[in-house]
Order: sequence, then C-alpha cells, then structure tokens
Amino acid sequence: MSGEDFPMDPGLCGDNAAPYVLGALAEEEHEAFRRHLDSCAVCREEVAALQVVASVLPAIAPQRSAPQELKRNVMASVREDARREEELGHHMIAATRTHFARRSQLAWPRWRPLLASGALATVVAVLVIAIASGGGGASTRVIRAEATPRGADALLHVSDGRAQLDVSGMPQTPPQRVYEVWVKRSGAPQPTDALFTVTAHGDATVGVPGSVRGVKVIMVTSEPLGGSKVPTTSPVIIARL
Amino acid sequence: MFNPLRPSGGSGSIERLRVLADEELMQLVYRSSADAFEVIYDRHADAAFSLAYRMCAQRALAEDVVQEAFLSLWRSRARYDRNRGSVRTWVLGIVHNRAIDALRRRTVRDKGIVNDEGLEERVAAPERTELDVARREEAREIRDALDELPEEQSKVIELAYFGGMTHVQIASMLDVPVGTIKGRMRLGLAKMRMALGDPTEMVQ
Repeated sequence: MSGEDFPMDPGLCGDNAAPYVLGALAEEEHEAFRRHLDSCAVCREEVAALQVVASVLPAIAPQRSAPQELKRNVMASVREDARREEELGHHMIAATRTHFARRSQLAWPRWRPLLASGALATVVAVLVIAIASGGGGASTRVIRAEATPRGADALLHVSDGRAQLDVSGMPQTPPQRVYEVWVKRSGAPQPTDALFTVTAHGDATVGVPGSVRGVKVIMVTSEPLGGSKVPTTSPVIIARL
Repeated sequence: MFNPLRPSGGSGSIERLRVLADEELMQLVYRSSADAFEVIYDRHADAAFSLAYRMCAQRALAEDVVQEAFLSLWRSRARYDRNRGSVRTWVLGIVHNRAIDALRRRTVRDKGIVNDEGLEERVAAPERTELDVARREEAREIRDALDELPEEQSKVIELAYFGGMTHVQIASMLDVPVGTIKGRMRLGLAKMRMALGDPTEMVQ
C-alpha cells in the first residue's frame, strides 16, 4: 500500500472514521456521522480505507462450533416465515384469479408469465391494487395506510385473516435500526416478529405475523435492531382496519 | 435437468444448493428460499457464533445474538448488496452490531453478570476444508498484525471492536482524552492495513 492510499489529516470530521468502523460511536454519534458521510468525500474515503481492516477482525476470534440447537431455532423461524409468505401469496393469487376471471377472461394470461418469472411480490401488489380499484367480488381487502414520511406510501392487503404490508418510498433505516410492525387490538400496541428494512428504492413487502382478526390498527415504528417491546418512536405508518 | 438457481423442494435440494456461491444463493434467499438460507447459515454460523462469543463471553447471550442476527438477515434479505461486500462480511457485520447492542444493554441492566468464557470447555470448530485451513492461516496473519501494534493501539481496537465499548467509555477507563483514543484507533487500523497488504483479497 502506498501513502496515497491512506488519506492523512482529513480534518476534524475524519476523527470519527476509526471509531465508526469499529462500532465505537454512541448511537446518536453513529447516526450523525453516517449522515455526514453522505456529503463528505474525505470521510467516505477514510471510512472505506479503515473498514477493510475492521471487516477482517472477526477472523481472530477463537473459532467455535455453533450449537446445533441454534440452527434448529433459526431455521424453524425461517421456514415458518417462508411458509407464511407462500401461504399469503397463494391466498392473494387465488383471490386475484377469481376476480380477473369475472372481470375479463382476457386479462389473466397477460399476467401469468410475470408470475412465472418469480416477480411474485411485485405482481401480487399490482394485482391487488387492481382489485381494490375495480371494487367488489374478491376476498382481498386493500387498505391505504397513513404514511408519515414525505413521498412514502403503504398498502395493507388483508385476506382470510392474514395481512401483508407493501410499502414504497420509505426512507432507509439508519444503521442499527429497523422498522418494526405492531398490532393493536385493545390497549397498548403489541410487538410482532416482523422487523424489516427497505430496498434502496424504499420498498418492502412484509407479512404481518399471525391472524389479524380483531386487530384495529397495524402500525410501523423505527426501532433498534432486534426490535422493542414497546414503541420507542412515533409511528411512521398507521393502517386502520 | 437440475437448475440450482430455480427454487425447489425435497430432501436433496439443500445438498445440491451447496455447489452455489454465496452471491448465487442470495438470489434464491431473496426469493424466500429457506433451503438457500440454510446453506448460508451452515457456511457462516460458526464464524458468527465465534465472533458473538468472543464479544459476549457468555454462551447464552452469544446464542441470542446469533439467532437475532440471522433472523434479521433473513427478514432484511432484500437489503443485501453484493457491491458493498461479501455475504460473510454482511453476516458478521450484523452479528457485530447485534452483539454491541447486547453488550451495551447488559452494561446498563446487568452489571453483575458473570462471563463464562473459560469456565466451559472451548469447542473449537474443526478444520474441514482447504478453505478452513486458509482462514486459519489468515486469522494468524491478522492476529500477528494486531499484536505487532503498540499495546496502547491494539488495546483500544480490541476494547472497541470486541468489547463493544464506545470511545468515550474507553477514554474514561484508560483516563486519557477522547481525541487520543480516536487517534490510537486510527493509527492502529492504518498500520494493520499496511501490514496486511490488501485485506479485501482475504478469503474471510
């Protein structure tokens, strides 16, 4: 490595690059520095140079075998999630097929290749919106949620007691934070296992765990990684059922 | 003909997925393939657990951290961007963040907790493949690079990265100014980078 590879004396703002890549900034400092990186090329370069070293540090931890029980727990949750997503997708496709068969025998074949291509989530969202705008006949209910962030949109699709939230235009969560889905029947909002982040375009599709029968409000807040037991920030999405 | 990039079920599908690279598996994970995620888990769980255990020094807490981290990875799978690093780096980054959260929560809530590292027999992950052997060799190089630093620099790096301490906490513990701690971190990491050549080429 030459001396030019390592930017020296980047100024005061660069002081935080090393603690940033080591995870040694407090949460508020971390977030402030992350925002600073958006506008400071010097710090971005400094972080990139130091990050490659920080990213190899895990290798020096004494190596251990992960317990088998841990794998069983993780994969049980993952397979349950996958099963739920598939189930929800099937509910919506079934409802969509019924609806389109009624409205037009010609409409459905145009969508089939898209479904076969694996772009299921996108297509399901589009089709369900089509149902909502067409009105009546299908068992899927679409609720437009109140989304606080500017430019954000959120639709809640409810089918046979299950719900899926499709969001778009949402801001990225800061590092070490995620969006958390809450359900409210009566009393305080209850946390769910649904923690999510959004794509670079601000999109996400997330299944609401469990039945939503009796649920009055579904909402989303920004929470620390791992989620919270009670909301720690104001809701950014509120869907009233 | 079997196409490993097409999601499929059955008991043999996981074994057939094992031929795929991490980035190819992530394409399937993105499409909700639990089988592909299981292969990712199998490849990186030992490293994830090792990092979590090194940081938490408590088996139960390390297990919680790794479980939360992998579930978070699964649920935020759409966020993986191969341009920002390998799957392994992504996995270990999330584990590191989770462990920091756990350590800082524990600091506040349960200062009396007893570390159990050293109290139980360490079960070393076996070297199973040439890749494992290469990783061990690289781990030794990285360890050497850290050990060659002046102690004041290696210490702050270890306290921050593996101890989950903030620079302010480290400064208070060592009774030196915050700016000095930041400088030691930066100098130490810069020297390690020089010693390691191009760390991005490591197999990790």
